[in-house]
Amino acid sequence: MRLATIARDDFTNARRSSIVLAVIGVFTLLVAMVFASEYGIYDEPYRTLFDVSAFVSFVFPLFLAPLAYLSIAGDRMDGTIKYVMGLPNSRAEYFFGKFASRLSVATAAVVLGMVVSFVIALATYVQAPSVERFAVFTGVSLVYTVSFVSIFVAISAAASSRSRAMFGALGAYFVFVVFWFGFFPVINLGTILDTVESLLGVTVSENTRSYVQLLSPATAYLQSTEPVYSGVFDQYQSFQLNFQPESDKLHDQTWFAVLVMLAWSAVSLAVGYLSFRRSELG
Amino acid sequence: MAAIRTDDLTRRFGDVVAVDGLDLTVEEGEVFGFLGPNGAGKSTTINVLLGFIEPSSGGAEVLGADVTTHSRAVRERIGLLPEGYGLYENLTGREHLVSAIETKAADDDPDELLDRVGLEPEDARRAAGGYSKGMQQRLGLAIALVGEPDLLVLDEPSSGLDPKGIKLLRDIVREEADRGATVFFSSHILDQVEKVCDRVGIMAQGELVALDTLDELRAEMGVGGVVEATVDTVPDLGPVRAVDGVRDVTATEDVVTVTCGDPAAKMPALRRIDAAATVEDIGIETTSLESLFEEYTNGEHEAVAAQEDRVAATPGGED
Repeated sequence: MRLATIARDDFTNARRSSIVLAVIGVFTLLVAMVFASEYGIYDEPYRTLFDVSAFVSFVFPLFLAPLAYLSIAGDRMDGTIKYVMGLPNSRAEYFFGKFASRLSVATAAVVLGMVVSFVIALATYVQAPSVERFAVFTGVSLVYTVSFVSIFVAISAAASSRSRAMFGALGAYFVFVVFWFGFFPVINLGTILDTVESLLGVTVSENTRSYVQLLSPATAYLQSTEPVYSGVFDQYQSFQLNFQPESDKLHDQTWFAVLVMLAWSAVSLAVGYLSFRRSELG
Repeated sequence: MAAIRTDDLTRRFGDVVAVDGLDLTVEEGEVFGFLGPNGAGKSTTINVLLGFIEPSSGGAEVLGADVTTHSRAVRERIGLLPEGYGLYENLTGREHLVSAIETKAADDDPDELLDRVGLEPEDARRAAGGYSKGMQQRLGLAIALVGEPDLLVLDEPSSGLDPKGIKLLRDIVREEADRGATVFFSSHILDQVEKVCDRVGIMAQGELVALDTLDELRAEMGVGGVVEATVDTVPDLGPVRAVDGVRDVTATEDVVTVTCGDPAAKMPALRRIDAAATVEDIGIETTSLESLFEEYTNGEHEAVAAQEDRVAATPGGED
């Protein structure tokens, strides 16, 4: 129950923070705006979910970062960790209590955003939104949330200062999102793989590239939204370009994409906890 | 079983030796003052006792439990007021205290504890982000008292407290000691220590340079006080030096300064000056713990010892 006390205190502290409420509010507002702005363009809310998935994949980590990157590093800086760890709490209870609290805050943002979107879709779209599609979408978005909150809390646990935690969080965003998706034309995953090819004199097959491409939680998240559009792939070209529902390749499977995200979470939490267990709190 | 026992405890930070081979035993039930200037290694020692940091070598036990392997067991039985600790800014003081009671599985009444440390009920229900240092220290003290701990570890407890708060702190330390608890507190301010400690240890540059009761330390240091007598003419100082318990006698044009090792030596010394000269004015200075402390921590202790040798070698020093 000590873990629960830590999580409850941290969550209550966040719930009363205007910054935290602002972050959740702005995210909800932006998702709602995507829905509001597209009701005249598409008849089906699921088409808008596709655009929201891109927004969540690229931008949501930037909302999660301020919610999580100071979770432990901030406590070290202001000495709150001495209050908590001066009591008979274990390092594991503290670490996972913090994680549980920050994940709850992030979950609140996702759920609130989807509920508001659903209501807007219900009120304005020609076709009524499907509860199933929204539920699946919310589910995989929460798995994505778990992966990034794990990464940021782990960075916070391993960082010895506020600025290191910040650079770590930004670094993670640039690697997993900007670099992996190839937003920069010169340095991205594709050009690195090309370099590997020419340096080693080997050919990286398209299949291998697809696997590597899926190894970021951000790309895996987009892949994992495939079931949201089950039965309607033929409706929009953008679905056909992005999903191969007929493929039996592992990198086209939803469960594999979900596994990639959960693996990032598990590895981050393990590394973060082990680092924190050995770290000095003085 | 000792409340605290460290065994050749050493902690390095890079090239800096923060605590250097500390052997310290604090008995159960005593009030122990852990003194030293900032940077002497007090907080490092306390952080090792709490399991916040690991020793580089040596070890420590608190209430019989090894601090590195049984940190939680240690923290279950102690009450801690850490130095420079922080609070959740959006939680009230009372909420912090309630969580501490929950975590320790204690059955204290939070309002009773708040009352005991003098935190007003309306302040206790405000967010801790707006607390003054004094309010935060009072709350920290309440948290430390949760669950009637066998050992109270108070790191610089008086910092930020006003005189009223300091008196309250002293009263609480006495009450806890009467209950049978051991109190271990660190300080670089000595006034408060003087009044409540059974024993003190003085740290300087990572080492324990003194360990005793205050009276013993004073006697050992030979600081029974200083008498300054303004006289018309300086008499022969031999008879004054010969008084039992006088450590050193010096004179300027018209002032004789007598440093006593024993407080009781002041009056006989003064009588001998009075017998040989006309005393126009006197001033008496009781050596405070402050100057004692400074002598130890500035490394002047050796100088004092050397002076002692010189005094002993002076013919006038023999009776």
